[in-house]
Amino acid sequence: MTELFRTSLFSEHQKLGAKLVPFAGWKMPVQYTSVKDEALAVRNNVGVFDVSHMGEFFIEGTDAVDFVDQLVTNDIATAPIGKAIYSPLCREDGTVVDDLIVYKLAENRIMICVNASNIEKDFSWMQSKHSGFKCSLVNRSNDFSLLAIQGPKSEEILRDIFKDLPAMEYYSVAEMGKFIFARTGYTGEDGFEVFGTHEEIKKLWNDFMERKVTPCGLAARDVLRLEVCYPLYGHELSDSVTPLDAALGWTVKLNKKSFIGKNALAETKPKYKLVKLLVEKGIPREGYKIVNSDHKPIGTVTSGTMSVVLNQGIAFAQVEIANFPKDEVFFVDIRGKFYNTTLTKKAFVTGGHK
Amino acid sequence: MSTNVPANLKYTKEHEWTLLEGDVLTVGITDFAQSALGDIVFVEVPDVGSDVMSGKTFGVVESIKSVSDLYAPVSGEVIAKNSDVEGNPEKINQDSYGSWLIKVKVKNPSELDSLLTAAQYQEFCNTSH
Repeated sequence: MTELFRTSLFSEHQKLGAKLVPFAGWKMPVQYTSVKDEALAVRNNVGVFDVSHMGEFFIEGTDAVDFVDQLVTNDIATAPIGKAIYSPLCREDGTVVDDLIVYKLAENRIMICVNASNIEKDFSWMQSKHSGFKCSLVNRSNDFSLLAIQGPKSEEILRDIFKDLPAMEYYSVAEMGKFIFARTGYTGEDGFEVFGTHEEIKKLWNDFMERKVTPCGLAARDVLRLEVCYPLYGHELSDSVTPLDAALGWTVKLNKKSFIGKNALAETKPKYKLVKLLVEKGIPREGYKIVNSDHKPIGTVTSGTMSVVLNQGIAFAQVEIANFPKDEVFFVDIRGKFYNTTLTKKAFVTGGHK
Repeated sequence: MSTNVPANLKYTKEHEWTLLEGDVLTVGITDFAQSALGDIVFVEVPDVGSDVMSGKTFGVVESIKSVSDLYAPVSGEVIAKNSDVEGNPEKINQDSYGSWLIKVKVKNPSELDSLLTAAQYQEFCNTSH
């Protein structure tokens, strides 16, 4: 087995007694004290995640906006400078290479933050589409550490440390000194993601600890994102589905003149519908089968957990559209027993983001 | 790793504790197990009257992020289950030795021979993790 990467905060995590596990080639904190306490700290107060394993690409030059707009399905061209935009990155056939956030830092200067497990794949893909555009494309993932401070008290804490932080809207980005601040996150709560050098981020982590921000692991992060129904690559999204199979139609802007995958996404009908299921008793887990009222298998759980807010099992499930039941009755097969579920349209939990 | 291992109980390598009273074996999970699992949010054990088989799974304990099988230390009939713990699984985190899961009427007493003493279990925890 190859050596796992360590973030610049590895020794801080060890000091805090974190449980460290392999994740996407990195040794990452999965939990410090209790998944429940950490998740609730973010919902009700403030928590911080070391997400330095994620990747950062920079695109600079006169064609930067055109290049990125052509690469991704969401609209980058008309978004103002200072805006963050969530988007899938698709192939010509509409399948998803990755989902990512595009940050419009300045005129002709864009940063893209990608999933750790997809850094190499995304970068090669982008390189293969780069020729003809007057802009650079640089993978600077190794230059940056990244902290996500999340929860209703995030802004107060961050402004106590950075007195000059400009006013920032939800899903905006600002470059200031050695840092890039984005009012984004993966929890549904208000919060910021702070990109910086390894040294500066280590200092910032300790500033957060001094201010009693709860250190939170990847397990809490996964529960939080599922409660507010954010998809996760490798679960709801993969190389074999399109954004339309994963309820991400809103991120596919077919009115754009062109982008990679446009034709396929305009013409092909989705194969799956991604549904949100609340389970009365029992906890749905990834891979469990979804059956209809005749107990015939029609889908699979892509992510499932116990919600710490609801104290109930919650799941995303991929259901075949061809077999989608008109009565909208779904059972989840947990160890051979069929458990009732309730199909919900809205997210399981409403986050407090601005 | 330091862990609480009461001397009056016997243990399995699956991190269960057992207490023999007459021919009835009470079964729960150890302090080591509850600590490794983290917040326990779901417990499923068989109904009274069902049979469990030594070495086979008889139920599950779930934390927020994981599912762990429970393995029967002996074969026999389930004569009681702890509904209180099923309803309040966090009690296992609070007091794993006070939170028994099932009581089994032991069918074959020779199966008890393979249970570990407290010292053996402590040693097992120290060396295998």
